Amino acid sequence: MFTQRFLINKRGIELTEEEAKLIEGSIHEVKIIEPRTTFIHAGQSVSFSTLLISGLMSRYIDDKKGRRQLVAVQLAGEFVDLHAYPMKTLDHSIGTLTRAEVGIVPHSTLAEIIAPRPELARKLWFSTLLDAAMHRAWLFRLGRLDAVGRVAHFICETNARLESVGLSDGLQFELELTQTDLAEICGLTAVHVNRVIRQLREAGLCLLKSSHVEILDRAALEKRGDFNSDYLYLG
Amino acid sequence: MADDTLRQPYDVAGEANVEDGHVVVDGPNGIAITLTADAAVLMGERLVAAGQAARETAETEK
Repeated sequence: MFTQRFLINKRGIELTEEEAKLIEGSIHEVKIIEPRTTFIHAGQSVSFSTLLISGLMSRYIDDKKGRRQLVAVQLAGEFVDLHAYPMKTLDHSIGTLTRAEVGIVPHSTLAEIIAPRPELARKLWFSTLLDAAMHRAWLFRLGRLDAVGRVAHFICETNARLESVGLSDGLQFELELTQTDLAEICGLTAVHVNRVIRQLREAGLCLLKSSHVEILDRAALEKRGDFNSDYLYLG
Repeated sequence: MADDTLRQPYDVAGEANVEDGHVVVDGPNGIAITLTADAAVLMGERLVAAGQAARETAETEK
């Protein structure tokens, strides 16, 4: 099942077996995309939405000099651009951070399965609203938190999201991100991120080694990152 | 209700440290920047000049 992680462990919103089968059946094609590949460019018209089956993808915006700000990181089981269904053109680019397996869902098929099923439409709408909730949290992170807090908040958020789909045990998970990726997520330089990673380790909060994250003190890390998982609407 | 102190000028200085040949500035609040050595020195000089001018203005207005 490609959709096994989609909307699981979300507050009162889990898909029924029939709905999961419908979305599964709406996948027109499964593609493998190599790491660091732009899949959809900002401004491009799209007639499909992309379900991330495995790997990591991002939504990003580049400034005029090509400096990148990641505005979302998508994890396995999530739609990367369900908002493209009503919007048809994206205001940001979408790319892979790692090798990714994606399911292509044509908007015409989405329209067919949603039309007679308002409850399924509500659940897909919920999914995009969850994205919006995360965007608000990312604004908070960048606007209010210091460098250590920003990275701590991102680690806590990612841990909670991965835990909800069974890809973190609550304290350890794989995260194939570079320090440059973390910098582009947290609005820092790679040099600053390097310092922050050391500070987090020295404070006994968490270890980030290559692609492995180990949280040493979850409560303290969440406190340092001013993190409260309510906005993730976890079940 | 929001803490009104967040809308006031900061009265706590940020920290500045050297990291990999650059100057990393943390705080106050959510400020987090990295500067080259030359940019850090120039910015420091500008901050000192602006801080002194602001003090003089405040003294004049007393």
